[in-house]
Amino acid sequence: MENENKYGITKRPMGSISRMFQAGSGLFLIFFLGVHLYVAHIDFGHPVQFFNQVIQNLRNPWWLLFFIVFVWIITYHALNGVGNIVKDTNIGEKGRSYLNIALIVIYFATSIYGTILSIVVAGMAI
Amino acid sequence: MDESVRNLNEGVMGWAKFYRKGWNYFAFAMHRFSGLVIVFYLYLHLFVLSHLLSGPVTYNELVKTVTFGPFDSFLVLDVLLALVIFYHGANGTRLALNEFGIGLQKNKAMFIVFEAIAMVILGVFLYYAYMFIGAS
Repeated sequence: MENENKYGITKRPMGSISRMFQAGSGLFLIFFLGVHLYVAHIDFGHPVQFFNQVIQNLRNPWWLLFFIVFVWIITYHALNGVGNIVKDTNIGEKGRSYLNIALIVIYFATSIYGTILSIVVAGMAI
Repeated sequence: MDESVRNLNEGVMGWAKFYRKGWNYFAFAMHRFSGLVIVFYLYLHLFVLSHLLSGPVTYNELVKTVTFGPFDSFLVLDVLLALVIFYHGANGTRLALNEFGIGLQKNKAMFIVFEAIAMVILGVFLYYAYMFIGAS
């Protein structure tokens, strides 16, 4: 095949872009997760946040936006990582196509669910 | 057969074979393993957060149960989870810098330094997170 190297492995032009996005989203997540761990586990004098603290946090529109962006980026990073692992197991070209479709569906389902959950919870009464 | 192709053919089970593969293979395999643990936790976290919709009583009871467990035994799992996250973050930062062409010649030193810094931050985080145990 045209794009195969001497080991019979297909070179993928999108591979390097995917790796760049994975690296970039990973660096973002270091910041996001650092802030999340501080806010959710340290900032308020208890190791876990209970119902009232979660709602109070999400009522601030900036925190709400922060968590929604967090969900979209972490889901991308997680599913892209899982995809890379599965693609290392010789699943074939057809398998790769099905996997890509499945990951895209799971990505949007998770991200949209996380977004709706955040917005609905932010509107709940304490 | 070339070693990279042989590794691919070994599949997922090949990750557990560290013998004579060097520190970078250990880092690679542990990065993937920790990544899968975090993905599993991510969906577990989303499942727990979904119980916010059931109201404060249900949610608070669930959070207490999954955080502390019987005799606070689940706190051990929390510490292991934090360890996995900090390992993945430190090694991932090294890999991301590599991706942008930084530190390619000093990878082993970067791995050791990044992991050491991550473990110190983990210790500080756990100290502050758990000094509140018993508070309600």
